[in-house]
Amino acid sequence: MSERIDVLIIGAGPAGVAAGIGAKREGAERVVVIERDWDLGGILQQCIHPGFGLRTFKEELTGPEYMHRFIQQAHEAGVEFRTNTMVFQIDRENNTVWTMNKERGIESLNPSAIVLTMGCRERPLGAIRIPGTRPSGIYTAGTAQRFVNMEGYMPGKRAVILGSGDIGLIMARRMIWEGATVEGVYEVMSWPGGLRRNIAQCLDDYGIPFHLRTTVTRIHGQDRLKGVTVAEVDDHMTPVKGTERFVECDTLLLAIGLIPENELSRMAGVDIHPVTGGPVVDDLLQTSNPGIFAAGNVVIVYDLVDNVSDEGLIAGTNAARFAAGKISSAKRIPVKGGENVRLYSPQIVTGETDSTIFMRVTHPIEKACRVFAVTDNGTELYTQRLRYARPGEMNEVRINSVKLKESGNVSNITIDIQEVK
Amino acid sequence: MTSERKFICVSCPLGCGLTVTLDDSGEVTKVEGNTCARGESYARSEVKDPRRVFASTVRVRGGKLPVCPVRSKTPAPKGKLFDITRAVASLEVEAPIKIGQVLIHNVCGTDTDIVASRDLEAV
Repeated sequence: MSERIDVLIIGAGPAGVAAGIGAKREGAERVVVIERDWDLGGILQQCIHPGFGLRTFKEELTGPEYMHRFIQQAHEAGVEFRTNTMVFQIDRENNTVWTMNKERGIESLNPSAIVLTMGCRERPLGAIRIPGTRPSGIYTAGTAQRFVNMEGYMPGKRAVILGSGDIGLIMARRMIWEGATVEGVYEVMSWPGGLRRNIAQCLDDYGIPFHLRTTVTRIHGQDRLKGVTVAEVDDHMTPVKGTERFVECDTLLLAIGLIPENELSRMAGVDIHPVTGGPVVDDLLQTSNPGIFAAGNVVIVYDLVDNVSDEGLIAGTNAARFAAGKISSAKRIPVKGGENVRLYSPQIVTGETDSTIFMRVTHPIEKACRVFAVTDNGTELYTQRLRYARPGEMNEVRINSVKLKESGNVSNITIDIQEVK
Repeated sequence: MTSERKFICVSCPLGCGLTVTLDDSGEVTKVEGNTCARGESYARSEVKDPRRVFASTVRVRGGKLPVCPVRSKTPAPKGKLFDITRAVASLEVEAPIKIGQVLIHNVCGTDTDIVASRDLEAV
């Protein structure tokens, strides 16, 4: 006998907890969040540095503090949580979700709506094929962060960081504060992956060298990492002969990108976007499979947790509306990315609500530019001047539903960022 | 003689590039490049008394985790950060711990406290 649930949320990170709050506030009776870890909060519990929630709370909190506030709100709203519980099967045809837990065993749940909030994973070493050996001492930056901040181990004494994503930059400072040496941060691209302020406060503050257009070309060491070879790269990202040098280290941390975690989404039969790696969603954050919603880093990897929580709230609210039969199949206008748009989400606008489309540029523009949205019949829905646009910093386009309605028969919307001539 | 200092504002994720002009007595005469009031005050503090929020962990006895995250309640003088790392590293705390609980008063004479940044149950 399946257990009836109004809104089932998978993953109790920032998106899932906010989705729970959104669903309860919208009036859903039974809202259950499934979490595989023993604790709530997801990855933010290991992000112990400040920098979270400035927009939401007007102060910079650490990750655990940020989650503490949301978890309290969720408890007050009456969201039910099941920790140490794993969803292992979504059978959408029979509207059943299967979970397992050591005490409760295997259970089947029968939700009216589902919100996917599984977050993302780090790109591993295997994704970049570095020649050489495979000794111990190589970790993704987030794994090292968990060791240091939650389990009380240091991964090593002398680290090299490959990639300049924010977690890598944050871990550089963390290693220094714990008494390790950080030999340098190496980034294959010509621009940093993370925020400029993290380069300032995590690298510059401690004199850690930052090398752009440089990468690790070989790993050395048998049992334990002995060092890496680094080399500069050319415009095609090919290592330049003669620029190789050996860097001694016992630890290599990888901060080379994040990938939305969508095994369950695929199982649920939702369309996955080839570029974002996350579900295709509309502005209600509904996937291609009606009744299944998705929010946060499982959809597209955000810069700021404030955005993840906002999206969670939206998805939870709309999942509750769906469960109550309040969402009908509305019109669906596809969004197209312009020339300098690498990825964006949502990819479909229903126009039922005002919405924000998040996007990243392919190439940086270090001068005045503008981000805009224009319909195929020539109506400008949004335009905003920017001082610059960088791949490491997300941009936003806001779609006003009234303005969209007024622009008549629209069959698609293009978003882009272009230099102001 | 005036002098100029350039650095990135760390007050929010925008990371504005700031230029601070100082007169010969070291007083700030001009702040440029900021896009908000937080940037202005960060620029003034950064040239006179640079401060950072410190965040680390302390060892825990009998807790659900072997370590508990902590932070300086307010930004601490940058020059004292390594003293603070040592003070925090030598501390061991008994679980349970409540978020906001003061673990070190006036750490290293900096007028800021080291507080727990999460609840940690005892096992």
